[in-house]
Amino acid sequence: MMTPHIHISGLDVTYSTDLGTEVHAVRDAGLQVLRGETLGIVGESGSGKSTLARSLLGYARPGARFAKGTVRLGDTDVLRLDPAGLRAFRGGRAAMVPQNPLSSLTPHMPIGRQLAELVRLHTDLRDSAAKKRILWLMDRTGLPEPDKLLARYPHEISGGQRQRVVIAAALIGRPELIVLDEPTTALDKTVEAEVLQLVAELQKELNATLVYVSHDLNVIRAMCRKIAVMKDGKILEQGLLSRVYSRPATAYTQELIRAIPRIEPQGPKPGSRPAHTALASAGFATTSVSFSYHRPGGLFRRGPDGPPALQDITLDINAGETLGIVGESGSGKSTLAGLVAGIVSGHSGRITFDGQPLAGKAANRSKDMRRRVQMVFQDPLSSLNPAQKVNEILARPRQLYFGRSAAEARADSIALLKEVELEPDILNRSARQLSGGQQQRIAMCRALAAEPELLICDEVTSALDVTIQARVLDLLLRIQKERGLTCLFISHDLAVIGKVSHRVAVLQMGRLQEIGQRDALLNAPTTDYTRKLLQGHRHDAGAT
Amino acid sequence: MTSDTFAQFRPPAAPPAKARRLPLPLRRALRSPMTVIGLVLVSFHLLLALFAPVIAPYSVSAILTTGLTPPSGAHWLGTDQIGRDYLSRLMSGGRIALLVSLLGVFAAVVTGAVLGLFAGYRGGWLDDLVMRLTDAVMAVPELLLIAVLVLTFGKEIWSLSIVVAIVYTPGVVRVIRARTVGLAAQDFIRAAELRGESLPRILFRELAPNLTGLLAVELAIRCSSAVLKISALSFLGLGISQPTPDWGLMVQEAMTVIFTDPWFLIAPAIGLSSLVIGINFAVDGLARAYGVSETDTNP
Repeated sequence: MMTPHIHISGLDVTYSTDLGTEVHAVRDAGLQVLRGETLGIVGESGSGKSTLARSLLGYARPGARFAKGTVRLGDTDVLRLDPAGLRAFRGGRAAMVPQNPLSSLTPHMPIGRQLAELVRLHTDLRDSAAKKRILWLMDRTGLPEPDKLLARYPHEISGGQRQRVVIAAALIGRPELIVLDEPTTALDKTVEAEVLQLVAELQKELNATLVYVSHDLNVIRAMCRKIAVMKDGKILEQGLLSRVYSRPATAYTQELIRAIPRIEPQGPKPGSRPAHTALASAGFATTSVSFSYHRPGGLFRRGPDGPPALQDITLDINAGETLGIVGESGSGKSTLAGLVAGIVSGHSGRITFDGQPLAGKAANRSKDMRRRVQMVFQDPLSSLNPAQKVNEILARPRQLYFGRSAAEARADSIALLKEVELEPDILNRSARQLSGGQQQRIAMCRALAAEPELLICDEVTSALDVTIQARVLDLLLRIQKERGLTCLFISHDLAVIGKVSHRVAVLQMGRLQEIGQRDALLNAPTTDYTRKLLQGHRHDAGAT
Repeated sequence: MTSDTFAQFRPPAAPPAKARRLPLPLRRALRSPMTVIGLVLVSFHLLLALFAPVIAPYSVSAILTTGLTPPSGAHWLGTDQIGRDYLSRLMSGGRIALLVSLLGVFAAVVTGAVLGLFAGYRGGWLDDLVMRLTDAVMAVPELLLIAVLVLTFGKEIWSLSIVVAIVYTPGVVRVIRARTVGLAAQDFIRAAELRGESLPRILFRELAPNLTGLLAVELAIRCSSAVLKISALSFLGLGISQPTPDWGLMVQEAMTVIFTDPWFLIAPAIGLSSLVIGINFAVDGLARAYGVSETDTNP
């Protein structure tokens, strides 16, 4: 038996709270990984996966401490290194790629100087040899035109390029351990696939041990041979990924695997359209719009129009159906949602709803029109007023649109909470006392309280963990069906879109690439871009 | 590390039923001795200001001796140059400054909050206008501005309060506006706009309740600054004038006898500084507990 490269045993990491109690972020963790192996640590937010991964570099967040246990890399006891030893260790033998590439690069220095500084710090290379190492890294990480790029500042390059630079920075000392903490979460699916490919190649080249932290099982599946599943600070199970996948040992792992959104072209249909609806079935809502954001102007003049965010998007949404709109960041999908909802104004073209033209700003629409078109936002915390109790939040639409008294509104709210499977006692809490899933349900309740006919959902599950996402999507499907709602569902995630939509529209750079019935579009996409999007989702398919 | 180790040996917090009703941040604040000292000092000064005329041994204006006398059994801090009981005058010495500060700063916080909410939420040229006006006022040194305004408006309690309000409003506007800009970008404000809520409702029902902690801190911290400014003004002979007892004025009068009878200087100085320190300690602790950061309160 080979000696393990990473050996963690009995590790406890604790935080002390203001009230003097200790909270375990990681409890009694044990791990063994061989040199050159790839380990995925998967778990939902708060599971302790990042804390465990950081302990490999001897790092605990401020306020946290290593209460018990050992962390060894080869023959080094990481937790016993002195500050100087730890500095040499990090960036030398072990390197980390954090989640947000923008915040891990300093904004005031060109990329070249930042990389040069790291070379000076972690290697003996100087001058031309140092330059050579940087150019080699740029080449290996697939960064084009090194000379131009090195002179740029972090904000001047794209998110994918930034993450490559951070990966390059991590590899400067040719580390034997690379820890990646959700490195692709901020990236679009197509870019993510490229970055993952790159990491896999580099890991093989350096024969480094790789620890990959993610909430996304698909990514772990594509990258890793071994997996550890964490929940509430504990490692629930670990082992070969293929084994854990085919025979999960715990109920939680089973749920986690089930919750992964998959593209299932032959999957079950979302709620079928209500046949009895009196509304005109086709073209219930239509758009035919172009839109540009203004560049900032001076004191007395409006700025010139920026590049078009939407170019002649002609769509129609039928009554009782869910139209899914998918696109990567910058595709204009949220702008479109904002236009229909009445947040963004100043489009050219026309938006109609139930045969009537919709004014741009919500303030210019009639009260009844505002009631009929409701929106649920991406970030559930930001969409609920932190100074209000749930009761106040839910009662307002009932009072405003239906003139209900406080007592009546409260009764209505309790019925609504039941519809989204929440208990009435939640009414007395404020948003910050709720979990992300509960917050998003409350946000849905607020929209439903207006008894809308068109519900706009803008990335409503992207801030949620996968198991919570699965539950919220199920809920949405059921409500859409029961209420016969017409939905405009926006997401970057084709699998999520596929699960809830009757028809799907694909946006890229402000243009409508294609639109069609869900099954037809997912089975036989007609444009290269849609195929590429689908590919980004299927990169995990060959892993097992 | 030390605080962590300490925390391990602390018994689990099991507050009695009554303390349970205090909100968590307040309980947390009361753990800090500095905050407790601050709150005690502030309460002491408030009670003193309210009840000084009742509990003082003598009237503040009664002439009891001929000229200055040292401390004695009848007059614990002696009598001043005109023969008035110094302890009684000391006890009342903070009343006017505190009253003027409270009135003026309260007006400043109310005006500043309304303007700041409006500018921060509406943005655009209105925001620019309000911000440039505050810049203009803040460009003048505070004490100079106060002095000029006092010479214009007079030294009555109401006019001093107006002066304080004018001087402190711009700072409040800036702080409230900065926080409002952040809040206004959040989606719950988008949701309110989509419902078609009126401007006052968005400002005062959606945004303002999120600022209560910040407003309380603004009120307190600017009160302590205002008390100092008023006292400085009195010291310079521009503020509160004889025969009203006032710490700033008393310090100024004591300047002539600083080497022979130093307690005449020390006593009002202690009065003034204990009030200001008390407010600052209390505000620091409460601000930390309620999550209002230092940068928020500095204009």
